[in-house]
Amino acid sequence: MQEYKRIDISKAEIVPIAERMRKQNVYLVMIHAFVNKEGLLDVSWDYAVDPGVESYHVVGETTLPSIGEIYDAAATWPERELNELFGIEFEGLDTTQRLFLPEDLLETQGRGQIMVTPLAELVEKNKKEAGQ
Amino acid sequence: MSYIVPIGPYHPALEEPVHAKLYTEGELIKDAEVFVGYNHRGIEKLATERNAIQTLVLVERVCGICSHSHAFTYAMCVEAINGTEVPKRGQYIRVITAELERLHSHFLWLGIACHIIGHDSMFMHIWDERELVMDILEKMTGNRVNYAMVTIGGARRDIDDDLRREILDACVKLKAPLDRITEIALTDKTIAMRTKGVGVLPTADAIRLGAVGPHARASGVNIDVRRDAPYSCYDEFEFDVPVVDSCDVFARVVVRALECYESIKIIQQALENLPEGPINLGTKLPKIKEGQAVCRHEAPRGQLSHMVVGNGGLTNHRVSVHVPSFKNTPTVPFMLRNNTVADAGLIIASIDPCFSCLDR
Repeated sequence: MQEYKRIDISKAEIVPIAERMRKQNVYLVMIHAFVNKEGLLDVSWDYAVDPGVESYHVVGETTLPSIGEIYDAAATWPERELNELFGIEFEGLDTTQRLFLPEDLLETQGRGQIMVTPLAELVEKNKKEAGQ
Repeated sequence: MSYIVPIGPYHPALEEPVHAKLYTEGELIKDAEVFVGYNHRGIEKLATERNAIQTLVLVERVCGICSHSHAFTYAMCVEAINGTEVPKRGQYIRVITAELERLHSHFLWLGIACHIIGHDSMFMHIWDERELVMDILEKMTGNRVNYAMVTIGGARRDIDDDLRREILDACVKLKAPLDRITEIALTDKTIAMRTKGVGVLPTADAIRLGAVGPHARASGVNIDVRRDAPYSCYDEFEFDVPVVDSCDVFARVVVRALECYESIKIIQQALENLPEGPINLGTKLPKIKEGQAVCRHEAPRGQLSHMVVGNGGLTNHRVSVHVPSFKNTPTVPFMLRNNTVADAGLIIASIDPCFSCLDR
């Protein structure tokens, strides 16, 4: 079984950790996010420290530094994705073009709608909007 | 003269939704942009409404080529959260299916690459041989696309002695055509002229941009999750990781052809040493304990990662799927630069992209 190690960090540690990992040629597996039980955003930077994954978590922040200058597109694509799905702002990240979601969805429903709102509530909201 | 040449949002050869914008000076591509997201299906969101068994069915439909890889990786995540030990025989069957999937995927790509190059007889030859692998997969699983071989805690279908012998025979049968295909790929003038020095991604750029899988290995990056972070029973098999450092489309052809031999080696070892015992832990619907896991699998196109968050109930709190094309697509604009417009289709295809997979 692959080892998975969760390490909680502060927002200020994100960039220094990314720089250290880059120096050691460690692959950035992915940047993930979810809304935890308390309703706070839990964002993780998962690095392939073989044979396991070291997962650095920041909880409760909606604006975070971008590590795009360190990991290039390997970081900016996940950051753009999280910006669209969760509305997380990454400082310095170019978000002028959409990555995944259709532009009309971003404009009309607001960022983060898809991942944060339960499906049942979305269906109800759409019904109301359609006047049913 | 400067032109902006649009390709897509429908790849001319791959029948996949991607849009590329080429900024050209005459025939030469000076810069490029790639746009994805034309097939976003909200699969991650749908997964939060489903239990673990339903999610296996769902994630298999992320991709029509590496469907088993998704079910395999998702199951590993749930098993890691729950602390489930998968029976050895179940692990072996998962690996056999994964390597058969790699074989059919690589044969598919090699065929398509030849089709784009204009070598259609080679395309037909490769796809003809691919049918042998597809037939075996169908016999093993009952399906040719979504195999449904994985369940939480093991495999869903056993491999009996007759089938075991049949797959071993198929591996032997596959060797001669694979030798022929590899020989042609390495020596054919048409393939060499269309692929050598085309779409170069230097090693440093491959590392910087986070390229994975055969695409990275064709740029001299020696990575493979099966060897570097062994999972399931991969550490019990001997296999090599082919790495080529010419960094061009030709290298991507060579790496994938050579990887087919390694997959056959793994399948043969697994079948010859198939352990006795149960293939799974039963059919009880599992709860997903409170916790989080990230698991990686070397899918045919490279590192596939799933993240699952459980909240102690039957459904997932969060499932996040990131396919190899998510890592490899950002390398495309770099590879396109200083190549001709005529090679753009081949260069985009050379990462073996799956854009529907990427969009989820």
